[in-house]
Amino acid sequence: MNVRISSKINLRNSVIYIVFAGIFALFSIILFNKGFLSPDNLLNIARQTAMISIMAVGMTFVLCVAEIDLSFGAVVALSALVTAMTLRATGSIPLSVLAGLGSGVAVGLFNGFFIAQIGIPSFLVTLGTTGIVSGIARWISHLQSIPIDNDAFVFVFGSGDLGPVPILFVWTLIVAVIGVLVLKKTAFGLKTLATGGNKISALYSGIKTNRIKLGVMVLNAVLAALAGILYAGRLHGARYTLGDSDVMIVIAAVIIGGTSMFGGKGSVIGSVLGALIMGILNNGLILMGLDVDQQLIFRGIIIITAVTLTMREKKS
Amino acid sequence: MEANAIEVRNLNISFDGVKVLEGVDFTLGVGETHALVGANGAGKSTLVKILNGIYHKDSGEISVFGSSTPYDSAQGARERGIAMVYQDLSLVPPLTVTENIFLSRPPFRKGIFLNTAKAHDEAVKILASLGVDTVIDPDSRIEDISVGQQQLVEIAKALSLEPRILILDEPTASLSNSEINVLFRVIERLKGRGISIIYITHYLRDIFKICDRVTVLRDGSVVLAKPVAETDIWELVHEMVGGQAETSVVWKRTEPAPGVKPLLELENVTTRSIRDVSLHVFPGQVVGIAGLLGSGRTELFRALYGLDRRISGRIVVNGREVAIRSPSDALAAGIALVPEDRRKQGLVLDFSVEQNIMLPILRKLRGKMLLSGKKSGTLVDHYIKYLMVKTQDRRQHVRYLSGGNQQKIVVAKCLASEASVLLLDDPTFGVDIHSKLEIMRIVREFAAAGKAILFVSSEFKELAEFCDEIYILKKGSVSGDVRRNVTEDQLMQMVQ
Ligand SMILES: Nc1ncnc2c1ncn2[C@@H]1O[C@H](COP(=O)(O)OP(=O)(O)OP(=O)(O)O)[C@@H](O)[C@H]1O
Ligand SMILES: [Mg+2]
Repeated sequence: MNVRISSKINLRNSVIYIVFAGIFALFSIILFNKGFLSPDNLLNIARQTAMISIMAVGMTFVLCVAEIDLSFGAVVALSALVTAMTLRATGSIPLSVLAGLGSGVAVGLFNGFFIAQIGIPSFLVTLGTTGIVSGIARWISHLQSIPIDNDAFVFVFGSGDLGPVPILFVWTLIVAVIGVLVLKKTAFGLKTLATGGNKISALYSGIKTNRIKLGVMVLNAVLAALAGILYAGRLHGARYTLGDSDVMIVIAAVIIGGTSMFGGKGSVIGSVLGALIMGILNNGLILMGLDVDQQLIFRGIIIITAVTLTMREKKS
Repeated sequence: MEANAIEVRNLNISFDGVKVLEGVDFTLGVGETHALVGANGAGKSTLVKILNGIYHKDSGEISVFGSSTPYDSAQGARERGIAMVYQDLSLVPPLTVTENIFLSRPPFRKGIFLNTAKAHDEAVKILASLGVDTVIDPDSRIEDISVGQQQLVEIAKALSLEPRILILDEPTASLSNSEINVLFRVIERLKGRGISIIYITHYLRDIFKICDRVTVLRDGSVVLAKPVAETDIWELVHEMVGGQAETSVVWKRTEPAPGVKPLLELENVTTRSIRDVSLHVFPGQVVGIAGLLGSGRTELFRALYGLDRRISGRIVVNGREVAIRSPSDALAAGIALVPEDRRKQGLVLDFSVEQNIMLPILRKLRGKMLLSGKKSGTLVDHYIKYLMVKTQDRRQHVRYLSGGNQQKIVVAKCLASEASVLLLDDPTFGVDIHSKLEIMRIVREFAAAGKAILFVSSEFKELAEFCDEIYILKKGSVSGDVRRNVTEDQLMQMVQ
């Protein structure tokens, strides 16, 4: 098994640790006086990156199976809205969470059906789904925010703290640990990697590759739905714009984390670290006092630099 | 004195700290055909890949026609007149035969456009020189033709470069006799034109037909180099394995015991490519399928393994009709396959030896929820030993195994599946003579344990010697069934 993550860190994965440490150290020095290292700020980073990390775990599986999903950003909004609306209508937390996750399952099944059964490239399918899902999100919410005032919901799904630990951090940890185990230690994970690594050999080995692809698309959409629910809890409400800007950040985080865009190779831990890098960047660039345009430019430059570093290491 | 075509002195290379070639000396005279032999993983492909500029030596000297200017790419090798046929074919699957043949040379042009008509004609010419212009359509895509045909295209591609030194790494592995004979005639012709050839093969008998000198590698070192006339097959095998070893075995035939029911029955199975095929295999039996390229032997396996849709007919395993629509149905019904193309169909190259072997049997390796590393470790280590796989350990990625060792992993995968019916499509493709006998022995052991074996081979000699019963396939239908002893030549006649 390929589970010797700690004993034999391969070079490609170790670069991500170096990049992570490098960026962290850089900001610690430049932004020392602006409170980058203050516990409050660090906890803030943990909160801000939780949803990105959770989505990155799902996207790792998608890239490992050699597909792509562009629609999960729209799922974030849909699930947040569905959850908020169900909560308002019924007052039931379990029901509203199930409804939110259910919207993810539905989108995942839709994507998976067209990708696996009909054989349409995932890029096209999920591009189409993005339109459909955001359309639905806008339509059901009439472009309005839907507030949430259920304290228990808000505490558990995003705003609470367990002692000093933000509850979002706990969610991230749970998803990441399960993600690592599933990818590296279960039949489903191995089948995912095999399907992405060589679909024909996987098929010849008796793996139902279509079912695996379907499963991965559902998994990713469900994690996006969870992220949507957490956004709703953290922001005390839902809005159709949620998740919009997360798509590129999540995909970049996963690739920086060492997962191959061509399938068959991936690391959940790498993706979470990639997400943390994105979070630190965001936070650091804001603390530096850069305006939004400058942040965009800097972020782009740093992403390309990081990916270049990881790729170079891979070749040697 | 005229310089040699290639002179290698004290060549060393290692991968991940493991020495693969150590102090290798090798001389290829001008106009000489030089056999390079050795067990799987001995370093043959590594040596010629260095000569072709693909791998970079750690130390040592290489001179080509007296010039020792270093080069570090296949392009550099080509400029020195070297062309190579790779063991793992280097063709681009979605491109056509013609496009592939001329891929590594400047294209034919008409003004700024490609001159496709000329390319087509030239391709036909080269294929004709190999005697296969009628079998291979220059316009078909590589992914649509068989492995044997791909091998011929690969050879055509090397010839199109009009090399002064031609390297052939197991060029005949999936060819049948007639194609091999044509290839030998081509080699004779090239020899006549003074072209120097390095010929890697596991068919040691062929060496005595076409080669002038032979070099034996064992574990990365040269252990013998002499004119072919001064050695024999027993000495070569002895040097390859570093001790006594058999070169052939007489297999005992098994007759199905009276009253026993067949383990596998096909009744009038018809698909897109085969028609009305009926056959049965009894437990303990090894049944061969003989046929030419395109006779439907691989397609028969595709039907049985759920890869091609059955239009009509029944498949019965152990007395029960089974509905097989996919490989996973086939495996569930107890049918396992060694497919013809190990890299495309048999292996996930970026998976470890262990992960590859585990793939078809994941269900059996589950603990409560997670996979049990202990179970798979024991199993995989057993097969590594059993099949004599040369690998650093079970965690090594199969991409970095030698061709023959990759093939052994595919065989291990099939054996480990504990299926009761084994479909073996050229299972010892690229495996060295010693391991080959070992694998055949293991297949016999499996049969003796009550399994049914269906066996396809491009080598009729192997079929004739190894099988209890042989079905003859022609154009997708069974045209005969041989139970008595036959010779290779008789089989050849029957399949025509
Ligand atoms: N790129 C690589 N990285 C690591 N190990 C390698 C690499 N290429 C080859 N090896 C190792 O070098 C050894 C020799 O391999 P090579 O392919 O030269 O064998 P070979 O003599 O051609 O065998 P075969 O008859 O099976 O083709 C093998 O043990 C293989 O695992
Ligand atoms: Mg080789």
